[in-house]
Amino acid sequence: MSAPQDDRSLEGRIAVVTGAERPLVAGLALALRSAGAAVAEVSSDEVRARTSAEAAFAAAAATLGGPVGIVVHAAIPEIAFEAIDFDQVDDARWEAVWEVTMSAAIHVLQLGFEQMRGRGGRFVFVTPTISMSGAARLVPYTTAVEGIRLLAKSAARQWGPDGVTVNCLAPAPEHFPIGVASIDVSLAPPALGGPGDAALDLGPVAVFLAGDASHALTGATLCADGGVWMAP
Amino acid sequence: MSGSEGMSGSGEPDVSAEPLTGRTAIVTGAGQGVGEGIARALAAGGANVVVAARRAETGDPVAAAIRDRGQNAACIVTDVTSRESMAHCIYETVAQFGSLEIMVHNAFRGGTPHRLEELSQELWEQNSRTAVWGSYYSAVLAFPHLSAAGGNGRLILITSPSGVEGSVNIPIYSPVKAAQRAMAKSLSREWGEHGITVNCIAPVAETPALVSAFEHNPVLKERIEARTSLGRIGDPERDIGAVARFLASDDAGYVTGQTIVCDGGSFMGL
Repeated sequence: MSAPQDDRSLEGRIAVVTGAERPLVAGLALALRSAGAAVAEVSSDEVRARTSAEAAFAAAAATLGGPVGIVVHAAIPEIAFEAIDFDQVDDARWEAVWEVTMSAAIHVLQLGFEQMRGRGGRFVFVTPTISMSGAARLVPYTTAVEGIRLLAKSAARQWGPDGVTVNCLAPAPEHFPIGVASIDVSLAPPALGGPGDAALDLGPVAVFLAGDASHALTGATLCADGGVWMAP
Repeated sequence: MSGSEGMSGSGEPDVSAEPLTGRTAIVTGAGQGVGEGIARALAAGGANVVVAARRAETGDPVAAAIRDRGQNAACIVTDVTSRESMAHCIYETVAQFGSLEIMVHNAFRGGTPHRLEELSQELWEQNSRTAVWGSYYSAVLAFPHLSAAGGNGRLILITSPSGVEGSVNIPIYSPVKAAQRAMAKSLSREWGEHGITVNCIAPVAETPALVSAFEHNPVLKERIEARTSLGRIGDPERDIGAVARFLASDDAGYVTGQTIVCDGGSFMGL
């Protein structure tokens, strides 16, 4: 397996990548850079509040020299990854996972769209397959992820006429610190042998979704999980 | 029946018209529409039904109409966005009827058309608090009773085809309805060992909300009917309530984590 180093399809593009504190997301950012994009890496904390999210998007446009045309959104609060029996979940945790994840996604969509309006653009939401399969003791997390996955579909439907596409990239559960393996969510092992490498295996899928080649694709969820979750 | 070969559990299937006799259900948002239809269908199936409505003006007449048919119902005024109010509803239900086996969360507010780039905090709060927080409270507060129901515990969340398809007119509706589906999947995996099934119904039915939407957008009715295999819009009691009654009954005891799309054959993407 080799990195697609000859792919310069994102040359001249400006990208914001959220949730960049996660190794998976850093790998996706690396792949975008390898394809020629200028990338601003933003942490989950930075897009949590509206004001700091605004500052992050403004800074990206100012320092990278133009409007943001690509947003890879993977921000999620760390507490979301904690496994917990549902009857032990309290209001503070529900707020910290569900509300914080959703409001960050809404900030990111609105701020990204402001810069893409009239020019077109690409949103890629990172939504692990676990939200589609469900998982015991991860109710708040899976609820929040499925929330942003459908937020992406609605945004895709509204902003299609503006040349803005919104798609989801669904990695295997191994890429997140949730203690779940692919084999736990399917009777079959990963067809391609494993969850893959963030930069080398998932990266090219992110580059595709961020580039011109995916212009006819919107509202889709691409499961790049090594061939586990095959529905639909 | 001349034998029990191939049967599981206690042997004879329950083919009575009242499969829910002796069980108690709460239906939120039961003052009208789909919730009312489900409340009526569960009561007709033999269950004691609590009509949980935000306002007594809508909830009381539904409960009274059920009682007029010789079935058991009571209205408890409930705000699904409040933990205290939901806890009170569940406490009163068990005090009055002795148990709680079936929790149906249907209440929803926030179907106002909008642009995502102009989404107001108020509209977000309505969607999130009624659909998602309401589901969370329904699940977490009913859990002690559902798990004590000896394998008959049922949590049913009312979602929407929009929660799978996305929505161009009401974009924020889709994520909150999808969140309910994810919750049902994960909870079904977690609560199997407690004998609780967790499922969703995604209905399209002739409700006051839909009738109002038709008034604002006359083309919508034609479009829905044209897209629907059966060529008509569902009846809240006969078409949607009957499916809830099935999910609440022993017959659906092996069905969990699922969404039954109950829309006359329109959305087929599951």
